[in-house]
Amino acid sequence: MPNILDVESLNVEFNINGTYYPAVHDVSFHINPGETVGLVGESGCGKSVTSLALVRLLPKSARVNGEVLYEGRNLLTLADGEMRKIRGDGIGMIFQEPMTSLNPVYKIGAQISETLLLHRDISAKEAFAQSVDMLKKVGIPRPEEIMDEHPHQLSGGMRQRVMIAIAMACNPHLLIADEPTTALDVTIQAQILELMREISNEFGTSILLITHDLGVVAEMCHRVVVMYAGQIVEQGTVDDLFFNPQHPYTRGLLNAIPKIDARSKQRLQPIEGNVPSLTRMPKGCRFSPRCPHVMDQCKVQSPELFEVENIHFSRCWMNEKKEI
Amino acid sequence: MLKYMVRRVLEAIPTLLGVTVISFIMIHIVPGSPVRILLGNHYTLERAAVLSKELGLNKPLWMQYFIWLGNLLRGNFGFSYVYNKPVAHLVLQALPHTLIIVVASILVAHLFAVFLGSVQAYYQDSMFDQVATVINYLFYSMPSFWLGVLLIIVFSIDLHWLPSGGIVSSQIANPGFGDWLRHLILPVCSLFMISVAGWARYMRSSMRESLLQDYVRTARMKGANEFRVVFVHALRNSILPLITLFGLSLPALLAGALFIEEIFNYPGMGLLYWNAVNSRDYPIIMGITVFLGIVTVLGNLVADILYGIVDPRIQYR
Ligand SMILES: Nc1ncnc2c1ncn2[C@@H]1O[C@H](COP(=O)(O)OP(=O)(O)OP(=O)(O)O)[C@@H](O)[C@H]1O
Ligand SMILES: [Mg+2]
Repeated sequence: MPNILDVESLNVEFNINGTYYPAVHDVSFHINPGETVGLVGESGCGKSVTSLALVRLLPKSARVNGEVLYEGRNLLTLADGEMRKIRGDGIGMIFQEPMTSLNPVYKIGAQISETLLLHRDISAKEAFAQSVDMLKKVGIPRPEEIMDEHPHQLSGGMRQRVMIAIAMACNPHLLIADEPTTALDVTIQAQILELMREISNEFGTSILLITHDLGVVAEMCHRVVVMYAGQIVEQGTVDDLFFNPQHPYTRGLLNAIPKIDARSKQRLQPIEGNVPSLTRMPKGCRFSPRCPHVMDQCKVQSPELFEVENIHFSRCWMNEKKEI
Repeated sequence: MLKYMVRRVLEAIPTLLGVTVISFIMIHIVPGSPVRILLGNHYTLERAAVLSKELGLNKPLWMQYFIWLGNLLRGNFGFSYVYNKPVAHLVLQALPHTLIIVVASILVAHLFAVFLGSVQAYYQDSMFDQVATVINYLFYSMPSFWLGVLLIIVFSIDLHWLPSGGIVSSQIANPGFGDWLRHLILPVCSLFMISVAGWARYMRSSMRESLLQDYVRTARMKGANEFRVVFVHALRNSILPLITLFGLSLPALLAGALFIEEIFNYPGMGLLYWNAVNSRDYPIIMGITVFLGIVTVLGNLVADILYGIVDPRIQYR
């Protein structure tokens, strides 16, 4: 069985005032059937750009290179019509902004049915019935009434459930969830995540879960891809990452998680500095200006992804030495 | 909803009254009196005094106004000085001609402008968009009467393709539908092109903004094609600002029709109004003013209601 998703050296550049700047650089990862893979990194690391590149929804100012194999087919070279058949059917996507991702002038029912009507040869009545079922599945109370309401009548949590219902309407093989809970409060967050886990278990859906919350990753994912400034800096299983983090950036992220441990009086240590902007990428290792272990070599030469152990990779010169 | 409509109409009454007061004062301030115009060469002081008394023009202005208002409230718009017919009758006679021009040009123009603006926004900054923007700008900055005269010069006087005015040809014994239609082309075109130009500009910027919204991305992610994305998802959001604008620009649209009718000698309300102003036919001027005021109020009300139908977030209170 082929992988659900195989991303091979994906590059995205944005045209800013006539010059192309790389936002995503040489990103490769894969997702197995039924697997949930986390994509983590601070704000501005290129997580959303990566996910939008997969389904070709980036603005025209973006130039995309590489391969995105979805069930063996390269999405980047597919005809527009073929790509549309996959969007919403084979691949569903939930966006970061639940408040604005629904169309304000159409009823919820019409917005969910639309996905079904676009991909399935069914009547409007059947689509309506299936949409009601989907709303039930995502835990929306009185689904029949909600079908007849407009987005502004729903809370953020409800809207995100509707977005999940839309994304899941056609039982996609792959669900891309871009920070599905960031805009929601903590209790709703937990409910939405639980819902996604149930759906993944029930339908065998593979999930690419984008987040900057490592707590969410620990709860939901099998494997993790850590991104920094448009590059993958570390990749491995959840255990690899939490118990044997290699890259200083990953360690930095871990140190920044609050621990529920009464004895440790350690303060949280956020990583100093900021993610560089597209137009001001540092030379050498992109993390070097913020790295506590920076060496001379780091400032001139960019490290590649070194395999630390089986399926555990890190982009740090310190990992090269171990390999020798 | 009904309550809202009733309230809006009631609220409009003071405004309408204000408009009538101002018009009434203005037409009396303007030099030239109907008595002088009606009598023409037969003008003598005695005859003028008699006619003034007959028309009620010798009374103080405020009294004239209240007499006129009193008649209006009883449904009497008064008698035209010049035609010696009831104003209501004259207006109703002219109305269908104006409606045809307004509906044919303005409504069709809006539909076309919505389409053109959308396509321009979608192919933003392409060759097509740039050419369309320049052409739009050209027509937008052109006064409608100027364009009307230009069209007459080119298509009637130089090319002899189309008639320059009237509703049907007077030389032909039995003018048919085709003849009538030929007379419509130029006046409708002058109004059409200018309204399209203005509206397409608004539509373009409104659609540009809509196409950047998150729900457009959601629509694409569902697998909707680009036609559906633009004309189903973005369009309904984009026309919202235009609906309000439609209500607000209604008076200007009617004023445009007025000039066009004058130029093409088209016997609608515009021409009636124009002639009435020239002959100081006060009852007709006032009658049409009231009529336009009511149309404007109703137009705004219709725009508000349409807005509520298109945008579910609006509630009437
Ligand atoms: N359309 C665009 N044009 C130019 N630059 C862009 C565009 N979209 C994103 N970028 C840049 O690409 C980089 C990555 O942005 P991206 O949205 O992927 O970050 P992210 O990891 O999703 O962050 P967040 O957690 O805030 O969502 C940022 O520096 C951003 O400014
Ligand atoms: Mg993002």
